[in-house]
Amino acid sequence: MLEKYIPFVREEAIDELFILSKKLNGLKVLHVNSTYKGGGVAEILQRLVPFMNELGIKTDWKVFKGDEKFFSFTKNLHNLLHLPFEKKISSEEFVYYLKITYENLKEINTENYDVIFIHDPQPMGLIVNKLKTQKWIWRCHIDTSTPDPQAWNFIENFLNSYDACIFHMPEFVYEKIEIPTYTIHPSIDPLHPKNIDLPEEEVKNTVAKFGIDPEKPLILQVSRFDRLKDPFGVVKAFKLVKKRYDCQLALVGSFAPDDPEGESVYKELLDFICDERDIFVLNLPPESHKEVNAFQRGATVVVQKSLKEGFGLVVSEAMWKSKPVVGSNVGGIKRQIVHGITGYLVESIEGTAMRIRQLLANKYLREEMGFHAKERVKHRFLIIRHLRDYLLLIYKILNQSS
Amino acid sequence: MSNHFVFKSELWIPKYTGIKVYSVKEFIDALKVVDKFSIFYHMFINIFNYHNLPTFYTNSLSYWFYKNGHLLLAEKLSLVDPLDYFDLEELRNTLINVLEENYDESWDRKEKHPFYFITADREVIELGKFAHTLDEFIEGIKRSSINSIFYHFITSRIENKTTINDYSSWLYSIGEVKKAEKINKLDPYPITLYEIKKEIIRILEGK
Repeated sequence: MLEKYIPFVREEAIDELFILSKKLNGLKVLHVNSTYKGGGVAEILQRLVPFMNELGIKTDWKVFKGDEKFFSFTKNLHNLLHLPFEKKISSEEFVYYLKITYENLKEINTENYDVIFIHDPQPMGLIVNKLKTQKWIWRCHIDTSTPDPQAWNFIENFLNSYDACIFHMPEFVYEKIEIPTYTIHPSIDPLHPKNIDLPEEEVKNTVAKFGIDPEKPLILQVSRFDRLKDPFGVVKAFKLVKKRYDCQLALVGSFAPDDPEGESVYKELLDFICDERDIFVLNLPPESHKEVNAFQRGATVVVQKSLKEGFGLVVSEAMWKSKPVVGSNVGGIKRQIVHGITGYLVESIEGTAMRIRQLLANKYLREEMGFHAKERVKHRFLIIRHLRDYLLLIYKILNQSS
Repeated sequence: MSNHFVFKSELWIPKYTGIKVYSVKEFIDALKVVDKFSIFYHMFINIFNYHNLPTFYTNSLSYWFYKNGHLLLAEKLSLVDPLDYFDLEELRNTLINVLEENYDESWDRKEKHPFYFITADREVIELGKFAHTLDEFIEGIKRSSINSIFYHFITSRIENKTTINDYSSWLYSIGEVKKAEKINKLDPYPITLYEIKKEIIRILEGK
């Protein structure tokens, strides 16, 4: 499987993975998260786990099980780690978290592994089973820079027993962490249906199927229907662009099962655009990977105007397709876009409109930025780099003890 | 003792030092105490990670000053060439001196974007490839990754405590003085590591 990535990262990079993995020969690694399907973590593990096995590191993936009550609590915990708000953690919820954790301890045997990766807060309590000879690493996929103090205290009950933790970027790290903290960017898979090459005809046919004129410039934002993605701001920016440029806007997304607000935002958006001819608000079925791929390839300029963002890998997905991206100067977007080189970072609706205009007016600039955008992703945001970082981290953590 | 060249490569994983600063003054204070491999990280990151992109400045320290409107400090720091130093403590002192000489305390203010000091947790790996002759050496470089070029051409100077890169050192040792000198003079800032690799091969294959 790894050899399929040679065209993207060159043979030497794959050879180095095998050399590095020899240092980890005979090691047993376990990943634990809370779902096999859906979401970025599961998507990454679906690839990383087979890769690690291919490299001779015996790697398993187990899923922590909980009921609706448990996941509704951890969803709240997730939100509180992101930002403080009124709903607090009750002692009853804490006890319930521990109860479910103990139930999982019976199911998930961690004893036979040398290194254990725990993803996000749900399975974090499994650390109580840590053996002295093992290394446990907490992989946090949340921005915890300004957490609710009570939620942070909850996390801290477990965190300090880990040997290291990983965040997407230093901006997401809460100041009070005392254990070794690594920063590893997430990644995209160039062989995922979302990212594979598509024939130009398929791209044109796909966008045309939704009523879009493939010959006319297309501005695109791909995101959930969520106020924090600011789709209304994108429409306002588009209207400013439209005064001088004949172009179209597509807001492409789908309803996430864990986001009850999605449908109402979608309806509100439809009302907001009224009968505007060149604006398309498209709610696609959840597995529409190739369609989204086609939209990204068919777009002239891609926008990601989030008000707040986790890492926002959809930016890298568009950059991989050689598209310049106009993105908000927030979260992981500012780590992906190199301002003025691979796209533009903006702070307002006006800034978004101005940069879109600039790009629509200048084909050479679009191509130049698109080229650098793809190069940026090739070097920093592909899954092979992610895999190498994990291997090196394992090696470093094991070496610390010796 | 046989004089063979051992091909190696360098891998990094970024580790957050926990030091975050909001002002120039805090920046200078942190620079005095931060792990020396944090200085290494920020001075070399543009060659290591951004060599394939046009960048505003040669290092990430300068970029932070530029982003916060301190263009003078950004320019002054960008001219500190880490390749002139094999001792990171000496490089640290130079950076502190440049900042202290050019910084006016009246500029001190809390900046919008903090600077996060990251350190490089490095690992140098042997690739199991060797060269005993110039031909084997050229072949080995042709099959080298960008990380390997980065190690031998850039950071081996720190390991070996010399301002001469690994490739040139070996070439000197086999009497290829001209080739060694030409390679040591290559400027890694305006071109990518892929281009450096091509240029090294061109020099080696030349007469």
